[in-house]
Amino acid sequence: MMLARVADSLYWIGRYVERAEHMARLSDVMLNATLDRTDAASEVARIAMSAVGEQDIDKTLTPYEAALALALDREDGGSITTSLARARENARQVRDQITTETWERLNLIYLRVTDPAASKAFADGSSAFLHDIIADLHLFKGAADATMSHGEGWRFLLLGIYLERAQLIGRLLEVCFADRQRRAMTDHFALTSLLRMSCALEPYLRRYTADIQPRLILEFLMFDEDFPRSMRFTTARIEEHLVGAARYVEHAGAASAERLAGRLKARLQYADVENLELNGAGALLTTVLDECAAIHATIYETFVAYPLEMRLPA
Amino acid sequence: MATARRTDEADLERPGAPYDEMITAAGGVRPHYAALAQRVQTLSEADLAERQKTLERFFLLQGITFTVYGGESSTERIIPTDLLPRIIPAAEWAKIEAGLTQRLRALNMFLADIYGEQQILMDGVVPRELVLCAPSYRREMQNLYVPHQAYANVCGSDLIRQPDGAFAVLEDNLRVPSGVSYMLANREASKRTFPGTFRAAGVRSVDRYPDLLLATLKSMAADWRPNPQVVVLTPGVYNSAYYEHAYLARLMGAPLVEGRDLVVHDNMVYMRTTTGLRRIDVIYRRVDDDFIDPLTFRRDSGLGVAGLFNAYRAGNVVICNAPGTGVADDKAVYAYVPEIIRYYLGEDAILPNIETFLCREPAQMNHVLANLDKLVVKAVGASGGYGMLIGPHASKKERADFAEAIKADPENYIAQPTIQLSTAPCLIDGAIDPRHVDLRPFILSGEKIVVTPGALTRVALKKGSLVVNSSQGGGSKDTWVLTADALGKEAQP
Repeated sequence: MMLARVADSLYWIGRYVERAEHMARLSDVMLNATLDRTDAASEVARIAMSAVGEQDIDKTLTPYEAALALALDREDGGSITTSLARARENARQVRDQITTETWERLNLIYLRVTDPAASKAFADGSSAFLHDIIADLHLFKGAADATMSHGEGWRFLLLGIYLERAQLIGRLLEVCFADRQRRAMTDHFALTSLLRMSCALEPYLRRYTADIQPRLILEFLMFDEDFPRSMRFTTARIEEHLVGAARYVEHAGAASAERLAGRLKARLQYADVENLELNGAGALLTTVLDECAAIHATIYETFVAYPLEMRLPA
Repeated sequence: MATARRTDEADLERPGAPYDEMITAAGGVRPHYAALAQRVQTLSEADLAERQKTLERFFLLQGITFTVYGGESSTERIIPTDLLPRIIPAAEWAKIEAGLTQRLRALNMFLADIYGEQQILMDGVVPRELVLCAPSYRREMQNLYVPHQAYANVCGSDLIRQPDGAFAVLEDNLRVPSGVSYMLANREASKRTFPGTFRAAGVRSVDRYPDLLLATLKSMAADWRPNPQVVVLTPGVYNSAYYEHAYLARLMGAPLVEGRDLVVHDNMVYMRTTTGLRRIDVIYRRVDDDFIDPLTFRRDSGLGVAGLFNAYRAGNVVICNAPGTGVADDKAVYAYVPEIIRYYLGEDAILPNIETFLCREPAQMNHVLANLDKLVVKAVGASGGYGMLIGPHASKKERADFAEAIKADPENYIAQPTIQLSTAPCLIDGAIDPRHVDLRPFILSGEKIVVTPGALTRVALKKGSLVVNSSQGGGSKDTWVLTADALGKEAQP
C-alpha cells in the first residue's frame, strides 16, 4: 500500500533516469563516431538523431551542437538535463519514500548538470562528461537496488525504468530495421555503433563473437533472454513487476494490466526467431511499442488515476 | 534565579551590553565552552574553512535547501549554517525545560477553557473581547473534545537570553512551528565536524525527536482505533519548509500526503493509495488553519481537503495541532501568559515574559506615550514588521503620528522595551566573531509533555543585527545541551 501520487512519482523517476541514460549514451556514441568524416559517421548521426526524435536536426546543427543541446538545453523537454531535473523533482516529492543513499546519488547528478560550469565541462571533454552521467546513473540504480526495500515502491520505480527502456530500444530498432525505404545497414562501423548505443557491444561479442551481422544484432536486441536491454528481457521484467504491484489490488481492473503484460512477454518469449527476416521486424516492433503504450495507460487506470466511485468503502 | 550561571561582576556593571554565550564580560571563557574553545584554537583558518565547506556540502547533498527564484532560472541555496555549536549547561537547561513544560501545560489548559466553559474570561483574568475578537480565535472549535486537552501538540517557543543572563520567552509558536529538521540536521553535521569534542562534552541526544513525535501523534488517536494511521500533511514541494515535512515523514515512517491525496467520505478521511482508499486517523498538518478545509475556512484554498473539519468534529480524525491554537500565541494574549499560568497552576512563571505594555489599559498607555522614544510599539494583528514603531530609531514626527494612532485605537497596540539578544561565537569570513542568537526549543504534548533536550539556535549573521529569520539573512547552528556530569571532563582534541 502506498499513495497513488507516490507510485506515480516513483514510476516517473524510473522513466526519466532511463531516458537520461539512453540519451547520454546515444550522444556519446554519435560524438565519437562523427570524429571521422565518413559516410558511416553521418549514418550513425542520422540514427542517433532519429532515435531521439529529432528528424530535422542535421540540417542546421553539427553533431557537436546537437549533442550539446541534447545534453544541457533546459528549454528542450527532451534534453538530458531536463530529464534529470524532472527525475529529481519527482524524487523531491517522494523524498520520504526513497532512501537517503538513493536520493544523494540523484541529487549529485542534478547539481552537476545544472551547475553554471556544466557547459564548460562539456566543452572541455564531452565524452568524459557524458560518460560520468551514465556512470552516476548506474550508481543511482545500484544504490536504489542495494538500499531500498524491494516492495511496491521499488516495483513502480523499475516499471518506469523497463517500460522506458523497452520503448527507447524499440524506437532505436525501428529506426535501423523497420524502414523499408532505406537499404539495409551493412557497414561494420555503423553496426558496432548501434551495438554501443544499446550498451550491447561486449555482451554481443561474447554471445556471437566478432561476427557482426545485422540479423544477429536484431536477434540479440529483440530476443536474447539474459541481456538486460533486449526487448525480451525488458518485457519479462515489466510483466514481473506489474504482477507484483497488482497483487495487492482487490479491484477487478488489475487483471487487465496483468493480461496485457503477460501477452507482451509471451509474444517475445515464444517468437519465431529462426525465421525472423530483417525487414519483417517492423510489424512486430510496432505491435510491441503499441502494447507498451497500452501498459502505460493501464498502470494509470489501475493504480493512480482510478475513479473514486469504484473504490469507496461500502 | 539562574542557578547554573556564574554571576560575573562585570556583567552587572555593563547593563546594556549583550550577554555572550562563550566569553564573560571580564574576558574569560565560560567553563562549559572551554573544551570547544581549546579545540578551535588548534585549528588554522584553512582548517576551519575546510570544515565549513564540508558542512555546507553535507546540507547541499541532503537537499536541505530552499529555492531562490530570479531571472531565467531558479537556484537552490542552503540555509547558512554555522560551524560552532552553541552550548547550554545542564542546570540552565533544567530551568528552561521546567519553564517550557509549565508554560505549555498552562496554555493547553487555557485553550481547553476558552474553547469550553470560558471560566478565565468570566473571572476577568483575560479580557473577553481580547480573546473572542482575535482573528486567530476559531468559533468552530467551541465545545469540541480534544484528547488530553492537548491542543498544541508541537510547540516551538522562541527564547532570548537577556543581558543579565536569564532566559525569557519572546514568543510562543503554537500553530505550525518549523525548524526542527534543522535542529536534527545541524546535529548530524556537528557530529562530523567536531567528533572528539562532541564525544567528550557529554551532549544530550536529540535523535529521539521523530519517534517521540510519532508517539505524541498516536496518543491523540481514539482508543478504539488500535493501530492508528498517522500522516503528515504538507502544502507541497514548493513550500519553503517542504524539506522538513518530508524529513519528519521519512523518520516517522508516516506517509507524506498533500490535500489532493485525501478524500472525505461519510465524515471519514481516506488517502488514495495504489490499492484503493485507506482510512486515516491522525493528521500532523503543516498547513495553516485557514487552508486546511475550504468548506469551513478559506474557500479559495487548494491545499486543504473539503470536509476535513467536519470529519474532525465528528471525531473520526484528529488534526494536530488543533485548529485555533493561534489565539494563545497572539501578541496581546502573550502579555497575559504569566497570569494564565498563575490562574490554572497556581505557580509563578518559571521563564519570564519580555515586559509588555498593553495600550488597552489606560495607565499602561500613558506610560507608553510618555516613553515612545525608548519602546518598540507593535500592532496586535500585524506581523512581519508592519505597523511597528521602533522608538529609538524613529523621528519626532513618526512618534507623534504613532501616538495619535495609539490614542485612536489603543486596543490594537502593545509596546515592549527594545530587546537585547545574547551573542555566540560564529565563524564569519574565516574568523571567529560574535553574532546575536536566539533559541527555539521544541516541546511535544500529547498524553504527556516532553521537551527535546536540544534546540534550534538561530543566528543573525549580519554584524550587530538582531534579525534571526532565515528569510532575512539569518542562519542557524547546532545547540548542545550538556548532561549533568559533563562539566570538567577533559576534551579530546
